[in-house]
Amino acid sequence: MSSDKIILKALNIKKNIKGKNILNLREFNVYEGQFNFIIGHNGSGKTTLLNILSLVDDDFSGDLIYKNQTIGPKTDKVKLRRRFSVIWQNPYFYRGSVIYNISLPLRLRGLNKNQYLKKTEEIAKRLEIENLLEQSAATLSGGEKQKVSIARALITEPEIVFVDEPTTNLDEESIEFFNSHFAELVTEEMTVVMVTHDKNQIRSLAEKITVLKKGSVQYSGPIKGLHYQNDNNYYSSKQDYRLLMKN
Amino acid sequence: MNYIIEAFQEAWYLIIGFDRELFNVVSTSLRLSITSTFFASIIGIPAGIFIGRTNFGRKKIVNIILNTLLGLPTVVVGIFVYSLISRRGILGEYEMLFSFRGIIIGQIILIVPLITALIRNAIYSLDEKLYKTALSLGATKIQQFKLLLLEARYGIMGAVITGFGRVLGEVGISMMLGGNIKGVTRTITTAMALETNKGRFGFGLALGLILLLLAFIINIGVYSLQEGKEYEQR
Repeated sequence: MSSDKIILKALNIKKNIKGKNILNLREFNVYEGQFNFIIGHNGSGKTTLLNILSLVDDDFSGDLIYKNQTIGPKTDKVKLRRRFSVIWQNPYFYRGSVIYNISLPLRLRGLNKNQYLKKTEEIAKRLEIENLLEQSAATLSGGEKQKVSIARALITEPEIVFVDEPTTNLDEESIEFFNSHFAELVTEEMTVVMVTHDKNQIRSLAEKITVLKKGSVQYSGPIKGLHYQNDNNYYSSKQDYRLLMKN
Repeated sequence: MNYIIEAFQEAWYLIIGFDRELFNVVSTSLRLSITSTFFASIIGIPAGIFIGRTNFGRKKIVNIILNTLLGLPTVVVGIFVYSLISRRGILGEYEMLFSFRGIIIGQIILIVPLITALIRNAIYSLDEKLYKTALSLGATKIQQFKLLLLEARYGIMGAVITGFGRVLGEVGISMMLGGNIKGVTRTITTAMALETNKGRFGFGLALGLILLLLAFIINIGVYSLQEGKEYEQR
């Protein structure tokens, strides 16, 4: 396990949508080189927090601090976003082939054709999707979409990878592939922030865990410190909680 | 019955014989339609994207006006532009009445709302995730706009082709502002009206067949862009 160095910090984050408070966080830390998990019931603000942390949503109040530098109005957000990647729950692909979609982040960063094709082939090989490269992205199955989405996110070798419920809506085979391969695909230098409901993922990958409830942090820290507390806990039953803790 | 058969025969011979007068009219119509569609696109494409992507105070009213203008009768545009460019109008000194330019102005006014509304709808129909994904991939503002254009390209092309089809088939503006001058402002539709009235039914029919053929080609274009079998593959 890496040392507990904070790479991204969120302070006093508040987010309202149509007058309703969605998120009200005093502090949230992302630890460098670790798998940081965010869990919670539907509507607890997990995805909202992920959007804010990944700089996709800037309509909130509060501070984000990246490597001890506050992200302010004058910060070059495009430059920062290029250090991050997001794997969405339902990934969007642009019109065109799989190779176009995977290489798109590199093209946006100005890499030449030889460079981006080489990297695309490399990442496709690691994800076992070389056969899909020439195919139209619109014709991919759910599992294939998720693999292509992972390839597109990791091709830039980001510092932080944000992952939003990656296996929801996937078949068992694809969930199995994700759970067994994702950790190998992420390099030691990468930090992962993952929103999930999947207990297997939490058990096998989580180093730090944050439990959100109604937009506030219920628990934040190492997974071993998570305790079951009657109705005040994310887990609705003791059984669920024991299942999570089972190793 | 013989009259109709003879008219069809005459129309056929005029077409396959590349009758000079016939193709002169077709050429005038195409030049007019291409020019007015070009200028209407320059206005309509950015306007459609702006309305589709931006939230501004009077957006509802703009949309209601835009939707109302979709059904604009050509003669209403004709009389409006006539009042502007006729000798006593505020643009009278430029002598645009019964000229190529006069028709162009009228046709631009006719199809700008159509192109704008269709492009607005194309932008509305794009998945919101497109914008979020572009941001997360590290796109700059210009790159985000390029991605938006690329995603909406078939809708945009479809809107432009539909606008072209609308002006190619209109008669009111060409008649009122062009004056049906042979070799200058005589279009397919105005020539059809005139020649049929003069009793040259075969000539009018030949123009009608060409217009139908052009409309058919335009619709194939729009269909393949918006609903063709390759659509899902793109």
